[in-house]
Amino acid sequence: MTTERETLETDVLLVGAGPANLACALHLTKLVKAHDDRARSSGAKSLGEINIAVIEKAAEIGAHQLSGAVLDPISLRELIPDFENEGAPFEAPVGDEHVYFLRARGKLPLPVLPPPLRNHGNYVVSINKLVRWMAEKCEAAGVNIFPEFPGAEVLYDGDSVIGVRTGDKGIDKTGKPKSNHEPGVDVTANVTVLGEGVRGSLTKQLVKRLKLDRESDPQVYSVGVKELWEMPDDRFAAGSVIHTMGWPLDSHTFGGSWVYGMRDRIIDIGLAVGLDYHDPRVDPHHEFQLFKTHPLIADLLRGGKMIRYGAKAMPVGGWYTIPRLSADGVMIIGDSAGLLNGERLKGIHTAIKAGMLAAETILEALAASDYSRNTLGAFEKRLKESYVGRELYRARNFHQAFDRGRLAGLVTEGISVMTGGRLPRRLPIVAGHAHMKKLSDGERSTRYDQLKYDETLTFNKLTDVYYSGTQHDEDQPCHLHVLDTNICVDRCVKEYGNPCQNFCPASVYEMLEDAGVLRLQINASNCVHCKTCDIMDPYQIIDWVPPEGGGGPNYRNM
Amino acid sequence: MSDGILLFIEQRDGALNRTSLEALVAAQRIAAETSVGVTAVVLGKGISAVASEVAGKKLDAVYAVEDDKLQEYTPDGYVAAMAKVVEQLAPRLVIFSHTYQVRDFAPRLTTAMGKTFVPDCVGFRVEGGEVVFTRQVFQGKINTDVRVAGAPPIFASFQAGAYRADLAEASGSPAEIKAIEIDLSGVTIRTQPEAKFQEAKQAVDLTQAPLIVAVGRGIKEQANIALIQELAGAMGAEIAASRPICDNEWLPMDRQIGSSGQTVTPKLYVAIGISGAIQHVVGMKNSQTIVAINKDPEAPIFDIADYGIVGDLFEIVPALTSEIKKTKAE
Repeated sequence: MTTERETLETDVLLVGAGPANLACALHLTKLVKAHDDRARSSGAKSLGEINIAVIEKAAEIGAHQLSGAVLDPISLRELIPDFENEGAPFEAPVGDEHVYFLRARGKLPLPVLPPPLRNHGNYVVSINKLVRWMAEKCEAAGVNIFPEFPGAEVLYDGDSVIGVRTGDKGIDKTGKPKSNHEPGVDVTANVTVLGEGVRGSLTKQLVKRLKLDRESDPQVYSVGVKELWEMPDDRFAAGSVIHTMGWPLDSHTFGGSWVYGMRDRIIDIGLAVGLDYHDPRVDPHHEFQLFKTHPLIADLLRGGKMIRYGAKAMPVGGWYTIPRLSADGVMIIGDSAGLLNGERLKGIHTAIKAGMLAAETILEALAASDYSRNTLGAFEKRLKESYVGRELYRARNFHQAFDRGRLAGLVTEGISVMTGGRLPRRLPIVAGHAHMKKLSDGERSTRYDQLKYDETLTFNKLTDVYYSGTQHDEDQPCHLHVLDTNICVDRCVKEYGNPCQNFCPASVYEMLEDAGVLRLQINASNCVHCKTCDIMDPYQIIDWVPPEGGGGPNYRNM
Repeated sequence: MSDGILLFIEQRDGALNRTSLEALVAAQRIAAETSVGVTAVVLGKGISAVASEVAGKKLDAVYAVEDDKLQEYTPDGYVAAMAKVVEQLAPRLVIFSHTYQVRDFAPRLTTAMGKTFVPDCVGFRVEGGEVVFTRQVFQGKINTDVRVAGAPPIFASFQAGAYRADLAEASGSPAEIKAIEIDLSGVTIRTQPEAKFQEAKQAVDLTQAPLIVAVGRGIKEQANIALIQELAGAMGAEIAASRPICDNEWLPMDRQIGSSGQTVTPKLYVAIGISGAIQHVVGMKNSQTIVAINKDPEAPIFDIADYGIVGDLFEIVPALTSEIKKTKAE
């Protein structure tokens, strides 16, 4: 059976409406206009109308965006120089800043604010609001943005990328078309830009097929779990910033917390947990709930009301884990490329800058009508020579330093910061899931014994998932492909105790016993699109693919 | 009727849509608080039975618009007819029930007339003679007040279950059924209705059921669903379920209650083996009486239940079924 598909021809197709791609699209419209203005006065050939399209899996632009976030405005200043008067939706400039090392009962303030965490001149932002605002700017500049269209597969001509096929709509659980069936559209483009966010599903396909990671180390990730709290008073001023390390995370679990003051008495609080922990029973959601019971945090939140929940992975491997970012007809930017600076806990400014540098490269390609890697490869050189390249290079050993635990990490990192990253050698790193230790027989964990859900300060996972606003049509094929569920019941249950139930922050995975037979239950409609399962599964048999367009969380104001 | 309330009555093939009676209750209550009258309008062909049924309620009049072009529902036909009815009668407020049909044509109608439409309301109050509508946002977590600033008429639709149809005020003498002259000769109907689509399985509309027995994961096995079916049968109730049951295909998906299923407000909701996760609770919390049966005394379902039985459903349900059968036999 052949499906009749519509084809949409574009010049430049950007997959994912996040800061990287929106910066790329907006900057490109400006560059094309400037190019054509120059061409008109010099009599050279102008580019004419360049059709730029952005596809996005979320129902609304920004709905799948989740970050802390503190923004270093350096690149936004270049993209939209007068952003204050252009209505940039910032929460507040960073004011009071504290870093604590937490112990179970007390806290040690760090005597000196570590230089990478100094945020003077930066802004507390909601990435959801930021992206919605950027999308408005793009649309005003003539960029076409299509929400509810996930990229399902990369279209190739030989090994050249020629576009993306979007996901089918209206397919039922068993794969049969429903009455509202619409096959996906083939969107063709001279240049396809993958800015799909962390662990992008098309990026994964592309990197594998073209072996773009031949020379890079495996990427490593953290998952951030966060809530927004509405407070009755302004005890925590907008722009206030707290970071913590230590408790409740064990010394083999990388990570730390953030507490940011937003506008309108909203507190943004979250915990990042390195996805290279050792104990398979680590549950990032539970760690976050425990964290909130620390007196420092419980006092801060007392009397407040939790209003939103969400989770998202982030790439923290840095410089040595960045794959090749261009090939014929395609570029990779933003979190998909791994451009987040783990040492500074920031990736929005690098994403925006990478988008702008990609736009400069695309302009050259359009002018030369050459979309091969010969032209597009200039992006990687530009990136390396920019301040993004410089800051990522300085932090090149940051996460790697913690590969052998917290103490070794803090010492190595201290030396690294003081010397601008000049450690005697390139520190090795392995994929995070490989650190997971097998359980020994009869071992019982006391890890979360003290964790009680009072549904006031602490919430069970299902309640939190409700507050993510996630929604999927139940009657569609499962978008979490577990390639061999026998492994779950034959091996994983003994070896790791089915850690999918723990690392998933949305109660998607459950091991159930039906009439004495153990089986994996996948509650795909709970999924918040964080990608943790695709990353952390010890057997690497979970493949996350986008569900029907429009499904997923609603991270308004996150 | 200038300044009064116009109520849209929905029918299909001469059968009244029951949610129109819920909208009728909303209209009657707004009318009572603002001291105006309610007039109803029915569109279609061969609709005298529907018009008579509605005329039994407390209304100033019922207008029946009969026209060949309204034989089948089409957005073009309904938009044109309703626009003319509203122009002639000049009401202050036009009320609908929030059905699929209304979702289809009401936005077009109001946009064409340059008026404001407040869809999917769950309540209202009157402040200084002005009607303030209540709408739910964030999956029903927050209620917002909506005041309309533009010139009347204002259009509003009410969510199914927001008002109880059985509370509609009847009238001693039936309201007058009036014909109204609407010229649709110049109207082009651009859609050609196909044969009506019928789901292979009879889709159930649980929103209309007065009694619901819902089952959750506590039932353990598919074979045990029969226990619940027997109870539902004895009570004359519809059977419903929480997500895991439908996800396992132990019951069809159209029986699911909750944030990814249906939202219901029956007179009686019996939750059996359902823990009461918030995702389920949002779909049934406004039921008039909630009975919960669960073996876990800490289960959150007991927080919202009017009556709770802590115990083994495999003992309680059969006992309940036999008692109900006995009582009914007497």
